[in-house]
Amino acid sequence: MKILVADDSKAMRMIVVRTLRQAGLGGHDIIEAEDGKQAYEIARAQNVDLVLSDWNMPEMTGIELLKALRSSGSEVPFCFVTSEGSDEMREQASQAGAMGLIAKPFTSDAFGDILAPVVA
Amino acid sequence: MSAIDEFEEAREDLEALLIEVLGSVFSEEAMPVWDDALPPGPIVSSRLAIHDEVDDSYTMVEVRTSAIVARVLASRMLLTADPGPDDLLDAVGELGNIAGGNVKSLLRHSCRLSLPLAEMTDDASAPDVDGVTVRAAVLGQVVELTVHLAGDIEGLTWPGSASEEVVETPA
Repeated sequence: MKILVADDSKAMRMIVVRTLRQAGLGGHDIIEAEDGKQAYEIARAQNVDLVLSDWNMPEMTGIELLKALRSSGSEVPFCFVTSEGSDEMREQASQAGAMGLIAKPFTSDAFGDILAPVVA
Repeated sequence: MSAIDEFEEAREDLEALLIEVLGSVFSEEAMPVWDDALPPGPIVSSRLAIHDEVDDSYTMVEVRTSAIVARVLASRMLLTADPGPDDLLDAVGELGNIAGGNVKSLLRHSCRLSLPLAEMTDDASAPDVDGVTVRAAVLGQVVELTVHLAGDIEGLTWPGSASEEVVETPA
């Protein structure tokens, strides 16, 4: 399984990958992107199976990334991992087609609860 | 009621927020402190702005700590024994981003968050601003969270397609 992790912080990308492993969801191919635009190009070119994306990023935000992917016909499972977890943002994410939103700071339990159904 | 009045009323929430964020990112227990200042020496700070789209005001969220704490944080986040200066900025920038996102969630209305800007300075003195500052100790060192109305937001950028635009200082 190919998992794309998009976040402008290298430290946070590493924490996301580590938390996946702690949630018992490790052992997959991880591809990293530093912003939404790079993530979009990788997702389109490499046929990824899951996108874990920050919301606030340079070039293209996470929600712009999700909408661009859906507009291109991609139905790849998409989950936000972001510092903002308001009801308004969760609603916006859901309406755009995200499977969930994990708010920072997070636990491995939060990853397991939301991602286990799609991470084989 | 201004955003700062709201945050003054929510001081306990800010203290709890800082302790929760520190406890999570350091995997260490953080404790509230009230009077302890940052130690002399290099300081790593992160600042970002929250734009209130209702009244077009800007609120700044700043996180400051010693380079010692920043080094431990970067080491733990990046799993490296010898983090470089960019690693320290990345780690504290992300700490500020997490704090900023959670502070934004305390606001009642529609707001927009800038990207964080992290810097290293030799000035450990508290910022001379009219705002709310809460402090917590982790690993025996102080971490400071200040929320204040923004007078100078120069250099900050917005996420997404407008990220190339430098945030304009309000008149």
